[in-house]
Amino acid sequence: MNIRSQVSMVFHLDKCIGCHTCSIACKNVWTDRKGAEYMWWNNVETKPGTGYPTKWEDQEKYKGGWESNGNGKLDIKSTSKARIVPNIFHNPHMPSMDDYYEPWTYDYQNLFNAKEGPDQPTAEPISMIDGEKIDVQAGPNWDDDLGGSPIYAENDPNLEGLTEQQRLQLSSVERLVFFYLPRICNHCLNPCCVASCPSGALYKRGEDGIVLIDQQKCRAWRSCVAACPYKKTYFNWFTGKSEKCILCFPRLETGQAPACFHSCVGRIRYLGVLLYDADRLEEVAKLPDDQLVEGQRSLILDPHDSAVIAQAKKDGISDGVIESAQKSPVYRFVMEWKIALPPHVEYRTLPMLFYVPPMSPVQASKPEDTIHHETEDLFHDIDSSRVPMKFLANLFGAGHEGGVRYALAKQKAVRWHRRAETVGDISRDLADRILHEANCTREEADEIHKLTSLCTFEDRFVIPPMHREQAIEMMKEPHEHREETGFGFVGGPRRGL
Amino acid sequence: MAANTQQSLPAPSCRRRNHALLALTLGMALGTASIAAAQDSPDFFRQNCLNCHTVGGGRLTGPDLKNVSERKDREWLIGFMMDPKSYIDRGDSYALKILQESRNVPMPVLPGMTRERCENLLDLIEAESKLEESQFKGLQISNKPFTDADRTLGRDIFLGTRRLENGGAACISCHSMHDTPLLGGGALAADRRAADLTNVYERLDGRKSLSAWLAAPATETMQPIFKQHPFTGDEIHALAAYFESSAGESPAQPAAGRVAFLLIGLIGASALVFAFDSIWKRRFTGVRRPLVDDTSLRIPQPTEVP
Repeated sequence: MNIRSQVSMVFHLDKCIGCHTCSIACKNVWTDRKGAEYMWWNNVETKPGTGYPTKWEDQEKYKGGWESNGNGKLDIKSTSKARIVPNIFHNPHMPSMDDYYEPWTYDYQNLFNAKEGPDQPTAEPISMIDGEKIDVQAGPNWDDDLGGSPIYAENDPNLEGLTEQQRLQLSSVERLVFFYLPRICNHCLNPCCVASCPSGALYKRGEDGIVLIDQQKCRAWRSCVAACPYKKTYFNWFTGKSEKCILCFPRLETGQAPACFHSCVGRIRYLGVLLYDADRLEEVAKLPDDQLVEGQRSLILDPHDSAVIAQAKKDGISDGVIESAQKSPVYRFVMEWKIALPPHVEYRTLPMLFYVPPMSPVQASKPEDTIHHETEDLFHDIDSSRVPMKFLANLFGAGHEGGVRYALAKQKAVRWHRRAETVGDISRDLADRILHEANCTREEADEIHKLTSLCTFEDRFVIPPMHREQAIEMMKEPHEHREETGFGFVGGPRRGL
Repeated sequence: MAANTQQSLPAPSCRRRNHALLALTLGMALGTASIAAAQDSPDFFRQNCLNCHTVGGGRLTGPDLKNVSERKDREWLIGFMMDPKSYIDRGDSYALKILQESRNVPMPVLPGMTRERCENLLDLIEAESKLEESQFKGLQISNKPFTDADRTLGRDIFLGTRRLENGGAACISCHSMHDTPLLGGGALAADRRAADLTNVYERLDGRKSLSAWLAAPATETMQPIFKQHPFTGDEIHALAAYFESSAGESPAQPAAGRVAFLLIGLIGASALVFAFDSIWKRRFTGVRRPLVDDTSLRIPQPTEVP
């Protein structure tokens, strides 16, 4: 056993209202720079929808992630040592700017400088790449709230396996549905971007598992852009370096939650440390699709187990981090309650950002003038939810419904339980039966309810001590380092060696 | 005004000083060259003149130079030696006569023909003319009859499929022949900056002058190439045989060569495009644009309200 710690995340999709506050917070802090205008380290997508970049989940096109090639080995889909050389001048799987979108701003000056005329002056959109006027045809959330549905929502790769009828229902009256999927870098345990980099510029931080790109070492190969199946590394055309979400590590190191977590108005985001067994990574990444979710769970170790604690200490994990792992909200969502699931686990990168799948309204039809609901119960059966189970399974279970069904059933049970507790118009027996069917107890349901609805800052963000002094100690005398910091960088990243 | 003049002074004076320096350097260089020239006039004659001229050996491409100073005055001779082209261009009657006798092969403008060198050469020719047997009577040219084997060998040498013994460049690098492949001689032949050698045997008036010419090619371009890497006697024999065999053929068409060059380039470029297209057949070609275009076709567009 080789225990390491990983800062992990849970996004509670049932709480996300799609306000994009997280995206704006991130943009303002990190990507408000030349060459980074088109990047959204954090973006919020509407599902069903094609997302950003368009149809990123279609790996037939983008060739992201790993594939097992039969002889028991995992290969990067987009590149390899042998393929780097013949494709040295042209990486054949590179998305173009059109697949993201061409960033634009507005010609605000015209509002003040326009010549006097019969009409009000307007601020026309101008490209942030070449400064010319552009006809805006795409954006990072162009299909927001089903905008342009017949194009974007209908081509969501997760609709695969749905019947024609189910697809039609998704856009019919009283059946129409959508939910939001906020995305940041998953800081995977088996990151494809790191494995693909010919310059060795990407690395996974030993102390907390944050995946970073060394701006000094990056040589603009852009292999990571093609390799990441979540399309969460981006190429900065101005500095000639690739960039990605850094999980706001400078904030984490000072005990603050990342900007997108901190600003989330729906309070959907949770952050905490998980301990995992690094020796079993390869074995788990090679499991068949239907065992991947369980396999990934089996990597994560119980921080209360005395054997795990002893081994963790032996592997250099500090007491503070172990203590933090014991309080981690992520551990409770993922391991204790099992209601948070990794996205697209079939890419085999073992993502460490987990999603609680969303509940959705009951299906209804309108045969005549009145609306007819399929069920008259207070909380409907999860199978008559408007979002088809198969769709969620494609997103969070590699096409297998088991995990999603379990998570939704438990969430439903919590609602029945709380209704019985607080309103009392439901019999205690019925609530208990539903809890039992969902493999849940009253205590657990109360805890889920508390961490979902009544959580404080400290409940949501259990930030481990980063022990920078220990990391610095390996390079130089910490006191000496302290005297030298705070003066900024000599120069930013730029093209060339 | 005065201030202006003063300010503008430094530049011209500086230039004048540079001129003076340049003149000095050139003068020194020429001075050394002329001393050397006096000593190696016979060598110079052998390398630069003997391929067309003899002294008392009969005419080759150019006239026999025995007693040349009796035919024209010294001033004219020196002027003509230094720049024969200008004499022909301005229509000097005697120069045109020589040109006609030489079957319109003009005397090349030779590098390094200074007045002093010309004086030395004329002195040398005068001295040699008085001798019974001049050392410049002409080369020993073999009289062996040309065989088919010679002609094939000559063609091989011309095309470069057979290396030259002393490492000289193959003829086809610059020249074309009636039966050379397309693009033979390259851009030089296509632009006629290097001669087409199809009828060179007649142009140079037969075997003797042609062989003499090949022994030490004296044009500005060929001399530096073949001075260090001369043809051997056998090679000259073979080449002469090849050139002789081409008599009466029509020369290669440079225009055809140029068209072929363009066509081959176009075909090659498009073949490359197709090759790369097939190598990267499964490349990423964009997702959003095709998605929007395909779906827009299916959706009925709302009719515009007038």
